[in-house]
Amino acid sequence: MILTRILRCCLVVALAGLALMPDTASGQKRGGTLVMLVQPEPPTLASYLSTSGPIGQVTTKVYEGLLEYDFNLKPIPGLAQSWTVSGDGKTISFKLHKGIKFSDGKPFTSADVKFSVLEVLKKFHPRGAITFRDVVDIETPDEHTAVFKLANPAPYLMMALSGYESPMLPKHLFEGTDIKNNKQANSPVGTGPYKFVEWQRGQFMRFDRNPDYWKKGRPYLDRFVARFVADSATRTAAIEKGEAHVGGFGAIPYSDVKALARLPQIEATTRGYEMQSPIVQLDFNTTRPPFDNQKVRQAVSYAISRKFVIDNVWFGFGKPATGPINSNFAVAGLYTPSVKSYNVPNGVEVANKLLDEAGLRRGPNGIRAEIVHDITPYGEEWQRYGEYVQQVLAEIGIKATLRHEDVPTWLRRIYTDYDFQLTNNWIQTLADPVIGVHRLYHTNSIRPGVVFVNGSRWASPRTDQLMDMATVEPDPAKRGVLYKELQQLVVEAAPLVWVHELQFVTVYNKQFKDLIVSPLGLYAPFDRVHLDK
Amino acid sequence: MRTGTGRFGYVVRRLLQAVPVILAILALNFLLLHLAPGDAAQVLAGEAGSASPEYMAQLRERFGLDHPLWARLLLYVKNMLSLNLGFSFRHNMPVLDLILQRLWPTLLLMGVTLVLSVGAGIVLGLLAASRVGSWRDTLISILALISYATPLFWIGLMLIVVFSLKLDWLPTSGMETVAAFHEGWARVADIARHLVLPAITLSLFYMALYTRLMRAAVLEQAGMDYVATARAKGLSEGRITLTHVLRNAILPVVTMAGVQMGGLLGGSIVVETVFAWPGLGLLAYQSLFARDFNLLMGIFFLSASLVILVNLTVDLLYTFLDPRIQAA
Repeated sequence: MILTRILRCCLVVALAGLALMPDTASGQKRGGTLVMLVQPEPPTLASYLSTSGPIGQVTTKVYEGLLEYDFNLKPIPGLAQSWTVSGDGKTISFKLHKGIKFSDGKPFTSADVKFSVLEVLKKFHPRGAITFRDVVDIETPDEHTAVFKLANPAPYLMMALSGYESPMLPKHLFEGTDIKNNKQANSPVGTGPYKFVEWQRGQFMRFDRNPDYWKKGRPYLDRFVARFVADSATRTAAIEKGEAHVGGFGAIPYSDVKALARLPQIEATTRGYEMQSPIVQLDFNTTRPPFDNQKVRQAVSYAISRKFVIDNVWFGFGKPATGPINSNFAVAGLYTPSVKSYNVPNGVEVANKLLDEAGLRRGPNGIRAEIVHDITPYGEEWQRYGEYVQQVLAEIGIKATLRHEDVPTWLRRIYTDYDFQLTNNWIQTLADPVIGVHRLYHTNSIRPGVVFVNGSRWASPRTDQLMDMATVEPDPAKRGVLYKELQQLVVEAAPLVWVHELQFVTVYNKQFKDLIVSPLGLYAPFDRVHLDK
Repeated sequence: MRTGTGRFGYVVRRLLQAVPVILAILALNFLLLHLAPGDAAQVLAGEAGSASPEYMAQLRERFGLDHPLWARLLLYVKNMLSLNLGFSFRHNMPVLDLILQRLWPTLLLMGVTLVLSVGAGIVLGLLAASRVGSWRDTLISILALISYATPLFWIGLMLIVVFSLKLDWLPTSGMETVAAFHEGWARVADIARHLVLPAITLSLFYMALYTRLMRAAVLEQAGMDYVATARAKGLSEGRITLTHVLRNAILPVVTMAGVQMGGLLGGSIVVETVFAWPGLGLLAYQSLFARDFNLLMGIFFLSASLVILVNLTVDLLYTFLDPRIQAA
């Protein structure tokens, strides 16, 4: 304790010293190192080749996007200071900020935008082929203007231009190289507020303040460090002791969040995940008995108590889900709660009645059917969630055996071999339904070997049509109408059980301010983060 | 054949014998690993949360997964014969670089653990055996039993709670203070502070093992005729124990320590995980789940070589500890 106090005194003296330094008006906020726990350690820093969360949490401090977003899910200026969309929705023109430089000193221009989108993201990014499929060309009339020419209107495109989803890369370091084997993958150079310094594998990555950052006076911090600690209990201890200052996306287990949040120096928040919008589900194989029968699927959906799962498995961090689109999209007018509701108090009763109607009668031992229930291998809570589902299914006469496998085996079973009946799962519905939702329900998304797409293999001509129309509909109100019908039809067909909207928690040390400032959360550039002085 | 050249010839012969052993280990590992379902491309796409079919095909082509298994095995063996450990596509880095980065933290932790556990084990075993049945013997035996029976991860976490969170003496985890980036001697001191808890945790288990082994060996030797002879000669008990019994009793401990080297790599996965120590064990564990086989095979190669080298060293050590044993 005494030691801490002495250290604190030193810190105050040091900070006072910093504050005395002549600097811009923002000088008072300057200084400090933010240590973020990132779990697991990313394999590379090639965010243009992978959308993996840990990669994005780090690279967004180096690579920026054309746009950022506010909490109403509206685009706000990023590298682009302004933009105009033509009346037919087929031309989007971006005006870039002037004087932006990459951290190696080379200027950032519209040529970099064109190269990043057409030569890298559209060709190699996991979601880029979908996001930019209608972009036929990008014109660069001058260094600060980039004009996207589209084959069809693409309203979702404006939601996919953050530094996480579509990083803007230095053309001069990629051009003429093998994009997939570029050494940028391990030492990125971007326009962002921090410069990559070193990566000690298994330990940390160090990023120092970019003194030539285009937003004058920012960032406020001297340094940003990403730390990797494989054990969850140790991560909690590191936050408690102040060795690390922030962790999100499940880095801190839900079971520890409440205890940490009780400490005076720690804060926990569920904000900053509005562009991830994950939904916890149960996925049926709709081509195999007994779940090829819609009534059986609906029965399971009725039987699950959303409240029980949220309160007991996820420690209260969640909100009942109503259907395929997350309620976070309400601000964009794309979400509707008026769908068939399976979240009823007498769910088990209704379920038993439906199963009788479906002709799935109880045998002499009270069992209607025996199934195998797969557990998604992404952490302990999925195990407990599986055990709960097993119990509920027993109440409605379905005997379930649980099966655990590791990630590659499970992915292969669900998305390549389709050798399953029922699995628990979770899907991020991302920044726009075209990017995050269509993949689970469209006929075109039944693609063996591709993960996190339509593994249930349910589809219908009308729902396909609705999704195709919503993809090219520029008017938000009309899109809302299309998505309303989609949600109603899909919820009725119940190819999945939508249990709840998963809430991630960011735990952070209160000495840092302005950490979570947008729906991008930990995927934001952190140029505004500063120490509270 | 107790000449220098004899020993040298022995080492060369043993090293040559090791080559086919290592090749066999590698080929077997390669085939076993490829029995596991799923591949690296699926894992990468799984982590990304989404991927287009074109993207998956690109990944497989780049990883060489579009070739048949036997072709990949042949290519691998060919590369290994020229000591080319290959490329980790997952990390976009040569396997050798990845392993070398992790090698010295691993050797540091293993070396300190080895010295600590063998040293403490020998001393405690000797202390216990020299007064069999006394309170000292009982205390040491109970201590050894407890450290042997307690799971490593739990010991690790409890040490963190006590020495890091409550007493605030030592850091919770990692190898260096990442916010500070010390240099020179300050860095050495910093690393030493970070080393204390993981080294103690990993040592406790092995120390218990060596204590029990040492105690039994000392007791066995104490009943030998040569001890009676030495006593009859009028040597003091202390001298008998230190110069006669100790030298003989230490052989099984040294043997065990050599055999345990492989286990030490495996056991350190738990400690590396709990203390975020950047060693090879954790890297191997992670690359298994990522199906990063090139990297995993590289680590297997290294650990197989390490075990062979250590056992060779142990065999040579015998000839120094007990001149009656010959290296031939």
